[in-house]
Amino acid sequence: MSRLDGSLLVLRAGTRWKDATTAAFLDAINDSTLPPEAFNRWLVQDYHFADALTSFQAIAAAKTPRQSRKSLIAGLGALDAEMDWFEAQASARGLEFNAPVHEGCRRYCDFLIQAAYREPYPVLLAILFGVEASYLAAWSRLSPKGPYAEFIDRWSNPRFADYVESLRVLAEDNLHKSSQRYFNDVLTHEREFWRMTWEG
Amino acid sequence: MLHEILWQQNVRLAEACLHHPFVRGLANGTLEPEAFRRYVAQDAFFLNAFARAYALAAARSQGEETLVSLCELLNGVLRELQLHAGYAKELKIELARVQPYRAVAAYTDFLLATAWQREPDETIAAMTPCMRLYGHLGTELAKTIGAGNPYQQWITTYSGPDFLALVARVESLLDSMAEESLAVRDAYAYAMRCELNFFSAMLEHNA
Repeated sequence: MSRLDGSLLVLRAGTRWKDATTAAFLDAINDSTLPPEAFNRWLVQDYHFADALTSFQAIAAAKTPRQSRKSLIAGLGALDAEMDWFEAQASARGLEFNAPVHEGCRRYCDFLIQAAYREPYPVLLAILFGVEASYLAAWSRLSPKGPYAEFIDRWSNPRFADYVESLRVLAEDNLHKSSQRYFNDVLTHEREFWRMTWEG
Repeated sequence: MLHEILWQQNVRLAEACLHHPFVRGLANGTLEPEAFRRYVAQDAFFLNAFARAYALAAARSQGEETLVSLCELLNGVLRELQLHAGYAKELKIELARVQPYRAVAAYTDFLLATAWQREPDETIAAMTPCMRLYGHLGTELAKTIGAGNPYQQWITTYSGPDFLALVARVESLLDSMAEESLAVRDAYAYAMRCELNFFSAMLEHNA
């Protein structure tokens, strides 16, 4: 049983959780049947998303009180290293990041940025937990083998799971009346993002 | 002038709005009252964010003249919201309880994300399409309005001199604040696509 199964935010999200963490795109990675163009599309769009998440997390860290912000600051460093890694992956595949941002990705990024400025830090903690927990759950359903083993391992390894657990504790120790609504909104955007990577 | 260049670059989207079934329904008076009801509720939600985006642009702007212009534009939105409150009362809509449709949330998230994070010139580029488009739709619809059209007040508002003066004001502000850049072009074009998606969403929600 994953530690996420005991999360109140996950439990109260109902069927949205499964909808956000399972996708045809991920099944195809698991079966090694993913068309390369779908993988490349995901890589470029996820890079744009990581850029917006960096902004979101920096603002969230600035708003979060000192005693709770260590995980957020450490996560920011990891996110920046992840962007370097994305750039190396894209360069190895001859991909450029100047492809237009897909509307599904753009909606998710705009949602994050406006929330970062407008909402109080407990809501931002719920959003961040939603983003990272759904990624952990989505990739953890796959076996780390095949051509994308490195990607699967990146978001299903125990260190990433520990980071997500630290975000869960922060989000659930600081619940706000809007936490669940925003957590659910994240899951809707996650579902749409996976759909976009598959359908184009 | 930048405002005209941007409008011309996006005129096909504007024409798609003019010929959209929702707008045709306003033009010939056949729009289902339920669709107009949905529109009033969603547009009030949208205008609330639109007013805040002007307020943010005002707070982040430089120079007194720009500040005055933005405050007048903000007041224009507040007057538009009063008009919506009148419609809402007539149609028995509780504006405070409105939940945005996906297309509407995408548009307001875009405006607010831009207004908070990007430079004020991009914010004005993101806000101008709504103003110019509504002035265009109002003016075009007013040319052929038939007697007894139930949407006459809507058409009169957006073709009237008060609204068209606000359109001229925001376009002149855009010309004075912005230069043609990728970010400005992108903000304008994306807002125009959001306008088209907005009209479609009013017809797709048949709840």
